[in-house]
Amino acid sequence: MVYKILIVDDEEAVRDLFSELLKKEGYKTNTCATGEETLELLKKENFDVVLLDIKLPGVSGLEVLKNIRDSYSDLPVVMITGFGYDEDLISKTKQLGCSGYIGKNMPISQIITTFKQFVKSAKENGSNT
Amino acid sequence: MGVRFPSPALKQKMKITIEETKEMLHKLLDNSGVIMLYLDNHENVIFCNKKLKDITGLNHEQIIGKNWLSILFRNKNSIIKKDLLKAVMDDSIKYKRGKDFEGAILDKEGNERFIAWNLTPIQTENNQIEGNILVGHDITETKERESSLKNIGETLKNIFSGIKEYALYLINLDGNITYFGMGSETMLGWNKRDIIFKHVSILHNFDSAANLQSILENVRNFGKYETEIDLVTKTNGTIPVILTVNQFLDSTGKLSGYIFIAKDITERKKLEYQIFQAEKLAALGQLSAGMAHEINNPLFVISGRLEMLKDERLNQKVKNSLNLIGAQTDRIRKLVDRILKFSRKTSPTFEAIAINDAIELVLPLIYYNNLPMSKIEIKKNFEKEMPKIKGDLHQLQEVFLNLLINACQSMPNGGVIEITTSNFQNLYAQIQISDTGTGVPPSQLKNIFMPFFSTKHDGTGLGLSICHNIIKNHNGSIELISQVNQGTTFTIKLPFN
Repeated sequence: MVYKILIVDDEEAVRDLFSELLKKEGYKTNTCATGEETLELLKKENFDVVLLDIKLPGVSGLEVLKNIRDSYSDLPVVMITGFGYDEDLISKTKQLGCSGYIGKNMPISQIITTFKQFVKSAKENGSNT
Repeated sequence: MGVRFPSPALKQKMKITIEETKEMLHKLLDNSGVIMLYLDNHENVIFCNKKLKDITGLNHEQIIGKNWLSILFRNKNSIIKKDLLKAVMDDSIKYKRGKDFEGAILDKEGNERFIAWNLTPIQTENNQIEGNILVGHDITETKERESSLKNIGETLKNIFSGIKEYALYLINLDGNITYFGMGSETMLGWNKRDIIFKHVSILHNFDSAANLQSILENVRNFGKYETEIDLVTKTNGTIPVILTVNQFLDSTGKLSGYIFIAKDITERKKLEYQIFQAEKLAALGQLSAGMAHEINNPLFVISGRLEMLKDERLNQKVKNSLNLIGAQTDRIRKLVDRILKFSRKTSPTFEAIAINDAIELVLPLIYYNNLPMSKIEIKKNFEKEMPKIKGDLHQLQEVFLNLLINACQSMPNGGVIEITTSNFQNLYAQIQISDTGTGVPPSQLKNIFMPFFSTKHDGTGLGLSICHNIIKNHNGSIELISQVNQGTTFTIKLPFN
């Protein structure tokens, strides 16, 4: 089965890179630049996983995560951040119900492997909450 | 002409007059307020006035005919010594003149009364000595007043010398030091003898004589001057003090000098500096975190694009260049990683840790860092009975690893690393890591824990600041002593509770 991933990041270069990397891994992708856009798009289109940047202008990544949890309890969300491996942030996002956490500072190959593992386990468990 | 005898009437009149005189003299002697004794040539008392009897409680028989020493020297502990009295007597007779001396006699209650005595020889017309008059003035009260004044003086002196945090010194109008008391000697290292009458500029870093003059002018105009200033010690060091200068007036109210009181504020300054550093670090941490985040995004794109190019068919030259770009990007990525680690305020996860084991586990990791380990000897002096401490194992191991790698790097030609653990009074675990390496110059010691400060060419300058933060989060302390080309010793203290 081909999973459809929604990539949310305010930087175009990051969105494009993720998109290309994940397509290469066999995923389908779509992208959003803001939290507001994301919540709108989710109403119209179905996704298997959301890859969500924590730092977004306007509605922050954490608020988007909270919204998704309220409205789409089964939709796995993987958080990405430029802040690296931050234990406080990790525990905060876990509390809010995200499936995984990826630092942009990790080597690219590791980012892809980690993401694939998150998707796999989230889909196997059915739900993440 | 025959001899005329007084008439019986005159005789009677003369007799009355002699009687009256005798009575008058008795009254005079008895009420004079001084002790009077008449001693014969054998130093026995042949007359004494009422005052002696009143004071001593002795009666006529106990005094008259007795040797004067047996009367005055009744108390064995008396401060009048027999020898002294004998010497006084000999002197008085030999030089035929009065002698003054002081001594105590016992009163009827057995208390000592202080008496100022005068012993004067009585001479006949042909200069023969026929006895001595001893007059004593009771000065007990005066003595007591003197002694209580002396006590006040002593007490004040003790209080003054007991105060160590303040230096108090006086200068005269010429600016020369005339008093150097309280904690002055301790604080400034000068001996009183060496500094008295030296010009006060010896203690002050005044830019010019005008500086002192302006301070003194302020004191004259406003009565007082207060400033924060550095005082110069004997060894040419400086001590930060709060200096208060007041006028010193003589008993007539005329300005006769200036009083300087200096309070040592070294500890306060130290604390202020620490707070300043902590605030600076916190600000720097925030700045670093923000910066690192901004760098991570483009860095992620660069490394991602490079990764994707790996699969493209490219000529070798381009591939080599891309590899180089990849390696350098990785370097930036690791640096940003460290910055983030430094700036992060993650609270440690505490567990019970056996410090010795934690260090043991770190030791093998040193060998993965391209260090000249074959030339380095590691000595371990571990405290056997070491209680466990509460700490974050990974964080503490990061500290130990950091210090050990630093130690190895400071010994490119080899040397000895000594790791010592000890239990300080069941209060904290002390870990010392010392090397015989290049050491840190004194001028750089102050900055050693500052982020981005490094003594190494390729250092990020974050290692020790991370160590510092971790130890601080454990409520511990980390300090170092270092000597150039001798080595460095880091001391970490971690509380057991």
